[in-house]
Amino acid sequence: MSLFFKSPIDIEILFDGQESRKHVEIPTSSASSKTLKDRYPLYEDGESVSGIVTLRVKEGKRVEHLGVKVSLIGSVDTIKSTTEAKKRSIDTFLSLSADLCPQGELVHSQSYSFNFKDVEKRYESYRGKNIDVMFYVKVTVLRRSTDIVKLKKFWCYLYNTVPLIHTSGNGDDSKPVKLDIGIENCLHIEFEYSKSQYALKDVIVGRIYFLLTRLKVKHMEISLIKRETCGHEPNQLSDTTSIRYEIMDGSPVKGETIPIRLFLGGYDLTPNITSNYFSVKNYLSLVIIDEDGRRYFKQTEIVLYRTLS
Amino acid sequence: MSYADSVEQAASVIKQQAILIQRNLAQRKLMDALKHISIMLTELRNPSLTPKQYYELYILVYDALTTLSQYLVENHPKRHHLADLYELVQYAGNILPRLYLMITVGTAFLQIEDSPREEILKDMIEMCKGVQNPVRGLFLRYYLSQRTKEWLLPDTQEDGNDGEGQENGNKKFNVEFIINNFIEMNKLWVRLQHYGPLRERELRTKERKELQILIGSNLVRLSQIVEDDLKLYCGFILPQILEQIVQCRDVVSQEYLLDVICQVFPDEFHLATLSVLLEVTLKLNPDVSINKVVSTLIERFIGYMDRQTVDIDSIRETFKKLSTQDSTENTGSGITNSGDLFFVFWNYLEKLCEARPDLPLNDLLPLVQGILRLSLIWYPAKLSNIDCLLKFTVKKCQENGGPNVTADSEYLFQDLLLSLSSNDIFYRVLTECDSYQKLLSLQNVGLQKVIVNCILDTIFKRNIRISSKSHLDKILLICQSIIKVNNIKFHTSPLDDSERAASQDDDSTSSLLNLEQEKLAQLVHICYHKSIEKHVELLLTCKSWLYKGGIQLRYTYPAVIASFWKLIHKAKIKSKLYSSRKTRYKQLSNQLFKYVSRCLNDLFNTVGVSCSDMIFKLNLQTAAIADHLGLSEISYDFFTQAFTVFEESLNDSRTQFQAIVNMAQVLQKTRSLYVENHYDVLVTRCTLYGSKLLRKQDQCRAVYLCSHLWWATEIPLIGEEEGITKTFYREGKRVLECLQRSLRVADSIMDNVQSCQLMVEILNRCCYYFIHGDESATHVGTKYINGLIELIETNLKSLKMEESAELKDDKTMKASIHTRLVIGIDGSFINLPTAPTATLAAVSHKSPTVPISSLVLVVTEYLQRTLKYIEDQKLVDDRFKAIIL
Repeated sequence: MSLFFKSPIDIEILFDGQESRKHVEIPTSSASSKTLKDRYPLYEDGESVSGIVTLRVKEGKRVEHLGVKVSLIGSVDTIKSTTEAKKRSIDTFLSLSADLCPQGELVHSQSYSFNFKDVEKRYESYRGKNIDVMFYVKVTVLRRSTDIVKLKKFWCYLYNTVPLIHTSGNGDDSKPVKLDIGIENCLHIEFEYSKSQYALKDVIVGRIYFLLTRLKVKHMEISLIKRETCGHEPNQLSDTTSIRYEIMDGSPVKGETIPIRLFLGGYDLTPNITSNYFSVKNYLSLVIIDEDGRRYFKQTEIVLYRTLS
Repeated sequence: MSYADSVEQAASVIKQQAILIQRNLAQRKLMDALKHISIMLTELRNPSLTPKQYYELYILVYDALTTLSQYLVENHPKRHHLADLYELVQYAGNILPRLYLMITVGTAFLQIEDSPREEILKDMIEMCKGVQNPVRGLFLRYYLSQRTKEWLLPDTQEDGNDGEGQENGNKKFNVEFIINNFIEMNKLWVRLQHYGPLRERELRTKERKELQILIGSNLVRLSQIVEDDLKLYCGFILPQILEQIVQCRDVVSQEYLLDVICQVFPDEFHLATLSVLLEVTLKLNPDVSINKVVSTLIERFIGYMDRQTVDIDSIRETFKKLSTQDSTENTGSGITNSGDLFFVFWNYLEKLCEARPDLPLNDLLPLVQGILRLSLIWYPAKLSNIDCLLKFTVKKCQENGGPNVTADSEYLFQDLLLSLSSNDIFYRVLTECDSYQKLLSLQNVGLQKVIVNCILDTIFKRNIRISSKSHLDKILLICQSIIKVNNIKFHTSPLDDSERAASQDDDSTSSLLNLEQEKLAQLVHICYHKSIEKHVELLLTCKSWLYKGGIQLRYTYPAVIASFWKLIHKAKIKSKLYSSRKTRYKQLSNQLFKYVSRCLNDLFNTVGVSCSDMIFKLNLQTAAIADHLGLSEISYDFFTQAFTVFEESLNDSRTQFQAIVNMAQVLQKTRSLYVENHYDVLVTRCTLYGSKLLRKQDQCRAVYLCSHLWWATEIPLIGEEEGITKTFYREGKRVLECLQRSLRVADSIMDNVQSCQLMVEILNRCCYYFIHGDESATHVGTKYINGLIELIETNLKSLKMEESAELKDDKTMKASIHTRLVIGIDGSFINLPTAPTATLAAVSHKSPTVPISSLVLVVTEYLQRTLKYIEDQKLVDDRFKAIIL
């Protein structure tokens, strides 16, 4: 369509200090190849978003318009199908608008600056399998016919927001997680993680104590699983394994203690997110694989959060 | 990432990666290098490798990682910080490559000054727990120990006032680190045994033995670190190691590790911790061969003695000092000498038996032997120690049901009993320790014999002289097994039966020497005492002991008798020296003769016919001795004894002939028998027996030999001289009678050749008497000789006629060229080889298968020689001229 009806106006959005700003690279959702990445400038909660919008008109043309509007949108979309990238917005949790210029006629290129002051951002940007949380600046040139729209996405991190979901009030994230699990007369282990909530750059430290092993263990690993839940359609879960980390090789005997140490900093992880429409949770899964290839596992929820620095 | 199918492939992958790593490092691309390293390390995850193959790969990997390690140290902190790298490598998803990398980086970090060494070490060893697979875990931990070898905490001696505490702290930390690693490795090693299917158990054990050096290396490290810090060793290292050893309850591990402990730590440490070590062996898996372990320890102590230059006493002192530090109480057995190495072992032995009453003798014996050797070296003169051990063994043997020793433990006993024989104390053990004999007697007879033989050999080799009766008794008791050897046979079978058995025995063995009995005889000879009475006592002891040997007396009694003879001579000499005690010595020698007589009687009664020839000769010899001493009565007695034997038991005609000749020889030399006509009686009897021999030629020869009995000749030894001494017993008439009688017999022999031969012999005798005596005295004159020569020639003539009638056979003539036939003085045919190369003459009693002609030739030649002699004599003696040839 755009081939035939070439937009008469070229809109460019430029954030203030875009070049010097920190950027994040996020794998493109549509492309199956992992190497393709999008680069987005990074903002945090409460940060002002300002910039300049430049409207360029083709030489010798004049464009009539009913006004130019800039808006900052934060929305949660569901991705129905990855191939089509057809998105359905299910919630727009943030929508700020400002008029850039009144109705008139554009004869030559013109720049307008915009500034959304101290924008509160409720959620982090997130791009998952079914859910896409995004922030963008949208410039709309209103016309009688179709409006001319230009989007510019940016990325948002929320720091120091410790979601206290499971701590049931006491809020002490240094409390270790202890679990005692087993298969009757076959395996009995006790494992312990130093805490249940981790910053993304944290180290998971723990140990596994074998009380009984009749199982011929081939190896044992822990994996971190990210679980995305769409609240809209119940039971629509989507698990992604973020980390697989072998922690034991061979079969231990009774009384053996296996140490766990997993540096999270090097991995690309998502902090826990909860909203009315979806949630992202992280689970630590302990997997024991026996010599016949059977897998035994136990999942424990942990909370990941992002901290500054 | 997957691994290669075969070792070769894996090795080539590793080599390839190693080259890439080197290239990357040269280009300072650390991240690429790490990537290749993790590919390389993936090969070590392969579960299908045998330990040996794994080791090969490990070596390759180790080399590659060494280059990395060097790079890391050189480029820190210019290009990277090792602390960061240490974290970075932990992102590796698989544990094994992760840990290898961690250790490589960690140990590189250790080499940097001001690095948190203690934390790094602790962390590495803690993280190693993640590998629980035995083989992989063992190699990983070995890698850790190899890498950290030189980079443990430093001995900070220059730290000044705080230095000592710090140093000890570091040392202790290092020791702890190694022990920790050792314990984990051992656990893995033990676990390897239980991997895989049951039927591969053997294979597992073999594989484990291949890997043992990995575990042992830790102990070697420890011994290097601990240096001479005994306190650290006793209080800290050893208890932990031993606890681990006891707890793992694994045979291979316990045996190997204890062995290593014994080998790698200094002797002084073992001396100080001996009781602890021994205590531990009691707690081991019952399948562990305790003796192997303890033997190693004992070897160490024995070797310690050799290695030390100071004298034994000061070493013992050292031990006393060391052992008092470790205050173990010596309970039981009432022995409370804690500073004594032997008693520590002795206590241990007792405890061992209490704790493990089921311990087989096979295991116990080498232990006892080891302790015995130890005692010999540490306390060379302590007989009581040896006695203790032997008693203990006896007790154990009896508990185990006496002599039912299996064949494989037999050699153990042999070793034990003979282990002493190289030591100087051996004789004392034999004579002063009752338990030695007891132990010996518990063995089966065959073994006893072997051992006794060795014992006797040793005694002889050492030139020991037995001079005490009690010693002799002990030794003979020990020798009992070979003394009594045929006793059972002798007692159970009736007399005639035993005689037959004896004669069979005689047939089979008489020609061979009986070595055992020979040794007993030798034993008799080494009995010695200055005093004759005491010596007699010893001999009588021998005699009464040997009497038990039954038929074997014939080997041993001659030795006893010979010893008595020696004593008789000695008594004689002494009586000459001390004339005051003459009567005493006289009595003594009379007594000795009685003993000899007793022996001969015993010999005769016990052994009987089979050795009567020997008895006969012994009688004669004794008689001769008695005669020398001028004891005519005694001499006469023995002569009569000899005659009795001759009459009763000498049946074989040849032996009889020899006996007569023998008798004649002895009699002819006697001088003391002339009183009371004894000589006459004996001589007449002798000749009579000679003339009654079975074969005529024997008769003939015996009689002409007996003729000498009436013609005594000088014996220069006792001062006689022909022509000066006038008292020679000579009766020419009887001589002639004898010659005539023998000539008659010779003449009556049917075989002409034989007859002629004998006549020539008689002619020779005649010549002898002709030379040595007047015709008036001997009655052998020219007339007689002439007649004899004539007679012989006539006979020969008729023989030659016979010969010419015979067909001449060239072949046989030729055959006889090679050998010359001669007829001996007892009538045997001797084939003398004429060829210079042959040296052996063949003697036979049968008439050879040569034609009569050559026999005649022999006789003729014989006559010619005699005649030539007469011819020669004519030149010096005129009387011969009367002989007409």
